[in-house]
Amino acid sequence: MTTAPSAATPAEVTEIDASARCPLLLLLGSALAWLVLSGALALVNLVQLNSPSFLAECPVLSFGRTQALQETAFIYGWAANAGLAVALWILGRLGGAPLRSLNWVTAGTVFWNVAVVLGLVGIATGDAMAHTWLHLPRYVLPLLLVAYGTIAVSGVLAWTGRRNQMTFAAQWYAVAALFLFPWIFSAAQVMLVFTPERGVLQALVGGWFVQGAWTLWLAPLALTSAYYLVPKVSGRAIPSYNFAALSFWTLLVVGGWTGGRHFIGGPVPAWVASIAGVSCALLLFHYIVVGLNLRAAFSSGGSTVLKFVAFGLGAYVLGGLLDAVTAIRGVALVTQFTYFTAAQSQLALNGAYSMMIFGAIYFLVPRITGQAWASATLIRAHYLAAIIGTAGLVAALAVAGWIQGHDLNDPAVTFATIAAHTKTWLQVATAAQALLVLGNLLLFGQLLKSAVSSLLVPATATFRQPPTMEASVS
Amino acid sequence: MKNGFTFFLGLFLALALAWAGIVLGSHAQLGHLAPYFDENEGKAFPERLPGIAARGQLVYQDLGCAACHTQQVRRPDFGSDKARGWGDRQSVARDYVSQPHVQLGESRIGPDLANFGARPLAVDADRLTQYLYDQHGGMPPYRFLFETRRITGERSAKALKVPAAAGMEVVATHRAQALVAYLQSLNNVYEYPEARPLEPVEAKKEGEAK
Repeated sequence: MTTAPSAATPAEVTEIDASARCPLLLLLGSALAWLVLSGALALVNLVQLNSPSFLAECPVLSFGRTQALQETAFIYGWAANAGLAVALWILGRLGGAPLRSLNWVTAGTVFWNVAVVLGLVGIATGDAMAHTWLHLPRYVLPLLLVAYGTIAVSGVLAWTGRRNQMTFAAQWYAVAALFLFPWIFSAAQVMLVFTPERGVLQALVGGWFVQGAWTLWLAPLALTSAYYLVPKVSGRAIPSYNFAALSFWTLLVVGGWTGGRHFIGGPVPAWVASIAGVSCALLLFHYIVVGLNLRAAFSSGGSTVLKFVAFGLGAYVLGGLLDAVTAIRGVALVTQFTYFTAAQSQLALNGAYSMMIFGAIYFLVPRITGQAWASATLIRAHYLAAIIGTAGLVAALAVAGWIQGHDLNDPAVTFATIAAHTKTWLQVATAAQALLVLGNLLLFGQLLKSAVSSLLVPATATFRQPPTMEASVS
Repeated sequence: MKNGFTFFLGLFLALALAWAGIVLGSHAQLGHLAPYFDENEGKAFPERLPGIAARGQLVYQDLGCAACHTQQVRRPDFGSDKARGWGDRQSVARDYVSQPHVQLGESRIGPDLANFGARPLAVDADRLTQYLYDQHGGMPPYRFLFETRRITGERSAKALKVPAAAGMEVVATHRAQALVAYLQSLNNVYEYPEARPLEPVEAKKEGEAK
């Protein structure tokens, strides 16, 4: 690979890719539109932290609502759409057969995005629920669930109807994510929204849902991309591959228990936080194996795809380490309830998730459209904006959170003083967020251009490789 | 991973295990938790939210107040919660059993509100209403919870003391009144048996005195 992802050679554009062009472009296009919107809302949110009266007259964009809006647009708009597109495409490729039930994917995508729009309008006009990652009003939840099912069924069909009995790590993660999210999502809907639990059990279910949505849905989607791309682009087999299965099951079995670390010292049973601490430490095994398996990403040899994935992997492993460290009571005493927690969640979402998915987007779009990206310079610009923006945002929030945490523990320090102490760092975070939005806008523009020109000029090359070769390269 | 059925079963079990452990486990421990009936006082604690306060909790929820305020006091020896005057004892699960929408919160950009109703600012409803209208430090003004209306007859006794055009007055909407009532209702001072802070040093002294 050259510095920028080159045009897919004709041999690489297969029937598998060409047939899925429209639904995948629809998923990716809506994903990036949501990403830009979510970034803009996050920017408003950060500006409001520094000047609280900013847009305060506008009830739709009060601080609490803006935060709920940007989070919802990110998770259900960007992360869900993009992750599904990447997982479907990779399952199709590794399954060695064209994706089936693509009309369902298209219809599901339309309904999913309509539901997200309705959800955001609902949040902005006062129907929001107060659960992290589940602010969506109750009336859109069933629609989201059904739409998700119609999209994901194509991936499950690609898995069950695969040509090879042999499977790859990328497939395990993709199938796990596609299969498990509806369970987590519907359990959370029932226990939080439709027949809510009593008292603090609501908070515990909420904590379980957020952790489940991350460890059993978004993280596996990101790892799908990394486990497919790293060996594929670097051309090297995955080292210590035997451990990959153990690492996969560690994530699935242990990961869901780690959510309780946010409840240290809270009004919930103490064992919830203790088990979470132990689980965070156990989960380090998973992070170490992922790092070892995919270390080829860090010697990328100029491939932009791998550079994105490498940053994402670094952020993922670092995030796992920080989770384990902040689950220790003495550390949580400082970081709990501060911007440090926000920094950790940005590291996971913008750092790990988005970066690995960006890598997959840069790799797969030329293959489904049969056309090269419009500009290598713009790709480099996006890469720089994304890494500087993410690193700046996470570092600034972490420092602000650390200062805030120490100040909160000193009862003599007033909230006005805390705000003054963290102001500079929050301004840095605001600037970093602005850079992120600009970078993502570049990718959105490039994708639109590719999509439009590919729909006008269909790819000519349809030479198809034998399915066995398709799969065995990974 | 060759066997599809075993694979899906494994996935499902992995999910079900964490769900059963955390959700069912804590449900088994706390699901039966009921308000505590105090025979001396002749009523149960925590008390149910009055109707207007319960509506206020919905306003609190839909404005996303929990983005900046927690409602959970930690133990006196864990953090500065007690020293900051947020509560004399840690919050316990029973404090929340009567709340339809629990708002523990995850961020302290502003102070904890678990016992806000006991603080001087909250005791006077008019003062608290005015507080929501103005900007204070990091907290934005919530002017959209107020309406400016023409004075018909006499000026309303509840009109805010803020500059308004001639013949006009600024009054709190129902939403603002409900929010104020909710904030005033936040008060977990009752000491449940499980909420008494464990203070071993003092216990020893008592023993010596005997």
